[in-house]
Amino acid sequence: MKRFALASAALLAMASISSCDKEYLEETPPSLYTPQTVLVDSLGFESAMAGLQSVVREQYTRSDEQGLLGMMQLGTDVAIPGQVQGAEIPYYNYNLLNSQDRAAEVMWSWAYRTINNCNQIIQGAATAPATLRQGYKNRISAEARFFRAYAYNFLTTLWGDVPLVDVPVTSPRTDFTRTPVADVNAFIINDLTTAIPSLLNASRAASGRIAQGAAQQLLGEVYLRTKQYAQAEQILQALINSNQYKLITARYGVRSNQPGDYFADMFVVGNQRRNQGNTEVIWGIEQQLLVPGATTSAQQRRMWVPAYYNIKGMALVDSLGGRGLGRLRLSNWVDYRLYTSPDMRNSKYNLKRRFYYNDPAQTATFGKRVTGLTGSDTIYNITPYTTKWNQFDPADTFGFGTIKDITMMRLGETYLLLAEAQFQQGKLAEAAASINMLRTRAQAAQVTASQINLNFILDERARELIGEEQRRLTLVRTGTLVERTTRLNGASVTGLTQKHALLPIPQTSIDLNNSATLTQNPEY
Amino acid sequence: MRVKTLLLCGALVPLQTTLATAADAIEPKNSNVVADAVLDSHLAVEGPVTGTVLDEKGAGMPGVTVVLKGTTLGTTTDVNGRFTLDIPAGTASPTLVVSSIGYVKQEIAVGTQTTFSVKLAPNTQDLNEVVVVGYGTQKRSDVTGSVASVPQDRLEKIPVSNVAQALQGAVAGVNIVASSSVPGSQPNIQIRGVRSITAGTNPYLVVDGVPFPGNLNDINPNDIASIEILKDASSTAIYGTRGSNGVILVTTKRGKTGKPQIRYNGYAGPEYMVNKLHPLDGPAFSAKWQEFTKQRGINLSPVPNIGELDNYNAGRTVDWMKLIRQQGSIQDHNASISGGTENVKYFVSGDYFKQKGIIKGYQFQRITLRSNIDATLTDWLRVGTSAFYSTSNDNGGRADLSLAQVLSPYGTVYNPDGTYTVFPQPPEQLVKNALLGLTTQREDRVNQLTGTGYAEVEPTFVEGLKYRINATYSYRPGRFANYNGRQFGDLRGTAQLINDERQNYTIENLLFYNRSFGKHHFDLTALYSAQENRFFTTTETATGFINDQIGFNSIGSGSNTPTISSFSERRGLISQMARLNYNYDSRYLFTVTARRDGSSVFGADADKYAVFPSVALGWNVANESFLKDQSTLSVLKLRFSYGTTGNEGINPYQTITGNALLQYAYGGVTTVGLRADRIGNSRLKWEQTTSANYAVDFGLLKNRITGTVEYYDAKTKDLLLNRQIPIISGYSTILDNVGTVRNRGLELSVTTANVQGTNFTWETTLNASGNRNKLLSLGYTSADDIGNRLFIGRSLGAVYDYVKTGVWQRNEDPKGQDPGAKAGDLKFQDLNGDGQITTLDRKYLGTSLPKWQGGITNTFTYKGLSLRVFIQTVQGVLKNNPNLNFLDLGGRLNIPREVGYWTPENQSQDRPGLSYINPRGYAFPTNGSFTRLKDVTLNYTFPATIIDKLKLGTLSVYVSGRNLYTWTKWVGWDPEQTYTIGNGTGNIDNPTSLLNAGTSFSNTQGVNPNFPTVRTFVFGLNIGLR
Repeated sequence: MKRFALASAALLAMASISSCDKEYLEETPPSLYTPQTVLVDSLGFESAMAGLQSVVREQYTRSDEQGLLGMMQLGTDVAIPGQVQGAEIPYYNYNLLNSQDRAAEVMWSWAYRTINNCNQIIQGAATAPATLRQGYKNRISAEARFFRAYAYNFLTTLWGDVPLVDVPVTSPRTDFTRTPVADVNAFIINDLTTAIPSLLNASRAASGRIAQGAAQQLLGEVYLRTKQYAQAEQILQALINSNQYKLITARYGVRSNQPGDYFADMFVVGNQRRNQGNTEVIWGIEQQLLVPGATTSAQQRRMWVPAYYNIKGMALVDSLGGRGLGRLRLSNWVDYRLYTSPDMRNSKYNLKRRFYYNDPAQTATFGKRVTGLTGSDTIYNITPYTTKWNQFDPADTFGFGTIKDITMMRLGETYLLLAEAQFQQGKLAEAAASINMLRTRAQAAQVTASQINLNFILDERARELIGEEQRRLTLVRTGTLVERTTRLNGASVTGLTQKHALLPIPQTSIDLNNSATLTQNPEY
Repeated sequence: MRVKTLLLCGALVPLQTTLATAADAIEPKNSNVVADAVLDSHLAVEGPVTGTVLDEKGAGMPGVTVVLKGTTLGTTTDVNGRFTLDIPAGTASPTLVVSSIGYVKQEIAVGTQTTFSVKLAPNTQDLNEVVVVGYGTQKRSDVTGSVASVPQDRLEKIPVSNVAQALQGAVAGVNIVASSSVPGSQPNIQIRGVRSITAGTNPYLVVDGVPFPGNLNDINPNDIASIEILKDASSTAIYGTRGSNGVILVTTKRGKTGKPQIRYNGYAGPEYMVNKLHPLDGPAFSAKWQEFTKQRGINLSPVPNIGELDNYNAGRTVDWMKLIRQQGSIQDHNASISGGTENVKYFVSGDYFKQKGIIKGYQFQRITLRSNIDATLTDWLRVGTSAFYSTSNDNGGRADLSLAQVLSPYGTVYNPDGTYTVFPQPPEQLVKNALLGLTTQREDRVNQLTGTGYAEVEPTFVEGLKYRINATYSYRPGRFANYNGRQFGDLRGTAQLINDERQNYTIENLLFYNRSFGKHHFDLTALYSAQENRFFTTTETATGFINDQIGFNSIGSGSNTPTISSFSERRGLISQMARLNYNYDSRYLFTVTARRDGSSVFGADADKYAVFPSVALGWNVANESFLKDQSTLSVLKLRFSYGTTGNEGINPYQTITGNALLQYAYGGVTTVGLRADRIGNSRLKWEQTTSANYAVDFGLLKNRITGTVEYYDAKTKDLLLNRQIPIISGYSTILDNVGTVRNRGLELSVTTANVQGTNFTWETTLNASGNRNKLLSLGYTSADDIGNRLFIGRSLGAVYDYVKTGVWQRNEDPKGQDPGAKAGDLKFQDLNGDGQITTLDRKYLGTSLPKWQGGITNTFTYKGLSLRVFIQTVQGVLKNNPNLNFLDLGGRLNIPREVGYWTPENQSQDRPGLSYINPRGYAFPTNGSFTRLKDVTLNYTFPATIIDKLKLGTLSVYVSGRNLYTWTKWVGWDPEQTYTIGNGTGNIDNPTSLLNAGTSFSNTQGVNPNFPTVRTFVFGLNIGLR
């Protein structure tokens, strides 16, 4: 009897396990969010937008290849190599630029990761439950459309025809083909024109969020690239006329009582945001020390600030911008020929040219001006540099990340884009007036209509935007990369030809795309 | 006369006269003798009989048990091997049972004789031994599958923390790679080649019949009685989904009836660094920098940084490698007590292991306790438990080998106040002082508690039926804590705490039915089981500490950027299994098994269940009558098996498209974000391996030569691959079932008794195995998948790269072939002859999977002395060698002198110039084959006379050396081990990358920092009390 009871108990135990088979084998991830569970209410969409912004932020805030930022400046007219890291070398020694280029792959991947996150939000908003207000769906979708347009504009500028992905990918696709530039452009313009009416204007938008002005500025630039100059002028003018933004023309903010000028004030930590008094910024990527989620591995300081502390008698200090590495150096054209008249943008607060020994321990030299250096010391140790990327954290002298806002768009550039649109339509006087807005602000000499041509506008862009502008994008967009680089900075480049106006499609994407052929750009 | 014949047989032909275990039936040949004895029983003696028991060399054997069969009367032999036993009057056909551990038991009918001389034969690898197989045991001669038993002596007297290290090279077809020598690190084990790319390739670990949730590190090698490795489909199919990569069955020691056996085993000894790389010394470092500045055309200076100038001018150098080193040591102490009565048996052991690394700060210690109890409660019920506790840690801040290799010999180690400089070569801040890690507060520990219980019910009313329930539960909490303070150069202080908890249970219901009908023997096994694993972890980090006094012990005092996260995971498996073993007369053997498994980790749109069948046949040819009366061939057995196994060794939740959690801040206010992270695959299903195994077991010349030859052919389909996809989709990888891979191989194990003298013996054991891996097809493309390094018709682990033909010299013009190149750059072959080097000039160069490997053990004994020499070899490995790639362009950082560089003067055709930036990402594939004098052990077993004087049961001492010498062409630390080459920079720029917080089922001890191979010498002692 006892044995029988035992056997039945065992059988019962087996049976009871079988009956809960289904539940036992079901996958219900306890700590994983999925798009289906998130994109159903506004809190979910807000988290997805923060996620998207974090991806967008990675474009220029990576540390894995510290020389990466150099790809946008080296091999153009504005910069020469300094203490290079490696990733940037093929962008001035163009013979080395091939389809296995690391920097191109990083940027290509960044764009498509951004696009995927945008697609999820845009599709999610289209299918979200009716309990979510339509106005909110439109607005969150419009923000995502801005970023998607930004990513595609970046891609098609640098690579030409690129695969167009407009919905989230849900299965392993390996059949991508390149969509012609014209179609990509139409897609971008559609995204932006759809987005603009639904975006908040800057005075209503929260800090760090995309407002109408950013989409207008981007659309203006896209119209310029696609040679639709009248539309460009119209949208840029609309941006200016919205009166949401205003050029900085007076001292303000955290350093207003210290020596300096108002142009430099815009680039001081604590002054960079709209709610910190910066009326000029249209889109800034926010970064902040000691705030979780607000720090990255950005490398701008190491890129732009020289390694002055390598010179005996020079010590690492905050006033010189912290620990730079001088990975690039301004070109001689920028250093010695760009600013021909008095100009605030060339003031000692904005373009540091003179150095004084600052190490009190070296009494023999302390306080004296640094002179007499030669060779590589003048390339990346002591050399003129823009102060826009000065940043220092006393608790981290090594300065891993450059933790300050990244100015992606500001009104200063709007006038330059406007001038370009006007010039291209032959409206030289209007173009001169647009540029004189900036020159007046910079307390520089006025220009006349007869002086206006594309080269002048590109020169002015360098004067205004050095260190902010991704110079390669501008020169490629205006078709001037080879000519200007060779003419103004030819000694620093090797092997630059017209083929380099487009970057190679990354070999990994070609290799992995087994079901269709991704053609390579010519001659790579 | 009969007895004499028997003794003769016993001594010279042990195989044909011996018994498997006490429980097994007497073999036919012996039964004749016994039967005669029964007939003669009326003539049997009464009263005392005496005798001597001799070992195979003719020496008297002390401590041998002599029992009168069927009674409790017995005695043991004295120091000279003599015994006296009283035979009570009226004993029917008295028979003496003479037994000793490690020797073949003999039964001797007393007959009319009163004096006996019994010679015991050692129990060598004979086919009647019992081996552990999945869910049971079998006589070796009845096994149809491929089951390798690890030679017992591999488990003893080798100074290792992990039993897998002792198995390296010892078993054919088992590839054990110690990817790190860090004390407490875990080697990788592959059985019969790599079957899977993404899913787990480590074999399934079963301890005492139940799945073991921890790893081999948790098991004290001293507790292990035997290890069996299941290799073919027939023997592993019984483990279904878990069986694909082979199964390791570990059986721990259990108590035996008799008086308590108290034993102590211990060893201790020093460890030394071997296979070193040597950073350039001062003058060579300066010369390298100057050569670099020349090649790069920058300002000439003797050293890269101004902070090195003072030391350079004064000629003061530091040897960073010496600074980070310390004298390593290893020790282990183990005590055990075992014994029992007829009904209750016990084995209890405790162990303390400690290894002090050869680099400052590294250590590993472990304490284990085990208690195994078996109790027979009634004639139909048997119960038992195993309780096991282990605690281990590798606590302590550590010096950094990778930094020591790249720091300048002209650096400054100490500040004037005696503390470490943070940056030894100012103003360089890219590399920190290699000793800074010693200032960190670091704890890393794992505890494991495992309890197993079983009950066996054998109903007396059904003969041969047995029900068994196994239940095991394991709880494994771990903790990692780290604090870097001001002395580490972290001016705010950073603390991190990771707590994790693993819980696993298994319940198995087993039904056995065992019957013999004449010469037909049936053995049925059925199983129903459920397993569940759960994992939960929390991670906290904080910075901004008031001072460095408290660190992670009060993580709440970190005022800045605290972050917390947690992660939770579960997997479940339900299984049913049935097996039939049938044999006829121990000549014809047949096994058929089927297992059905359901796993939670597979997709909702695929079947979570799969059935894994297998069949095996065996033929003991030597048992056939036509081979019976010859002496050349003592064993000949043919085996064949065919079957399917599965692999579910992937992380849960891969079927679901998920988001990654992150933090973002708007206007300085932190918010939580979610971003697209990974793409799920709802059609994910089993990876299945179907394999055939052909084997021959043989014994020649009275088993002086024994061995096994096996050939296998295994095809794995629906390969689980974490496959790269074009990033254009927004995702870079997806876990998918793709393609088919084939592993074919030949395995050979031979043991030869070369010399069998009275005092001197020499035995050689050799194993060799070759494996050919071949990717047959990919499901998603008919072409090679270059991006994933998958080439149809080629091996996995493919090395695909350019063909280096030399280095461009100054008098050569690279323009025609490689326009970007300059003198000192690597020269590659233009494979397609299009006049330029493009990605089309890459090709398949080889594989990192070894072509063949083997081991040879020679054991020499002279009286009590034995010497064992073991050599291991791994051949046909091509691996990328990161040591050869210049980081930081060969500029400011030091490089090993073994690496070298091109100069216009030396015109090297092998090494590039220092300014070479490697624009094509050439990975320097290099021959990673090696042969190693793995270990040598000299053992002395004290003779009975001395042991007796000391009043001990057994006593032996030994010295053993490990990793004594390596022959290899590899340039680097060790061809076998994996080193991350960050040249320190990776460790410094992003210290948290070393801490794999929240990753699924990973051990907090899982990240292996760089650590050299060690050479170990130990002195050991084994004592058994009387």
